[in-house]
Amino acid sequence: MKYITEEPIDLVGMLQETHHPAAGAIVLFSGEVRDHNGGKSVAYLEYESQISMASKMIALILEEAKSRWNLTIATAQHRIGKVKVCESAVVVLTASPHRTEAYASNRYIIDRIKHEVPIWKCEYFTDGTKEWGGNCNCHKETGDVNKHIYESENP
Amino acid sequence: MKIEVFAILKDYFKKEFEIADQLDTIADLKQHLIAINPSSVEVLSRCRFAVEDDFVVDSYKITRNDNIMIIPPSSGG
Repeated sequence: MKYITEEPIDLVGMLQETHHPAAGAIVLFSGEVRDHNGGKSVAYLEYESQISMASKMIALILEEAKSRWNLTIATAQHRIGKVKVCESAVVVLTASPHRTEAYASNRYIIDRIKHEVPIWKCEYFTDGTKEWGGNCNCHKETGDVNKHIYESENP
Repeated sequence: MKIEVFAILKDYFKKEFEIADQLDTIADLKQHLIAINPSSVEVLSRCRFAVEDDFVVDSYKITRNDNIMIIPPSSGG
């Protein structure tokens, strides 16, 4: 599985590969590019990554989630390069016998990808400006760049 | 040592560069980088450092041939 890709993410293909006889539930999360942020009109996003580290970290996060929630399948892919409005920037799929584990693990996986994995977005606005943005600011509360506050654990 | 930076750090440093001075630790490297570009002090305080794809702590002892990557806070998703 390629965890980081420059190509558009094939949501349908990924979903098809997640069907499994033991799985009664599949959750598919797609993080999409929206046309506005912070009151500004977004033209597109551009993502960059340290690919080898990011790939290893995503693989470890998926393995950990599979083990913790006893998942049938867990997979994820993040896109890099230019991503347009309405396109998927990241997709996480979790399959398990029952939906509770599929939902919980999916939130956990996307939280960890967003907070920890070396992937960065640059927002390009329709007014011609750009901004590296939306980065993890957990250290302001935790006092440690390696300690994060996850939505999935603080609903 | 070779340094590679990513994302917002490219607004402060070249994408890749070498430092000839002998620096002992990552903490020393941070001070060296702040001296090169004092405006980087805030962003560097939020970065993680990695050597050969593994994160290292401030007390990590740098060797001459290390390839050091400076990893800003993540903003994927």
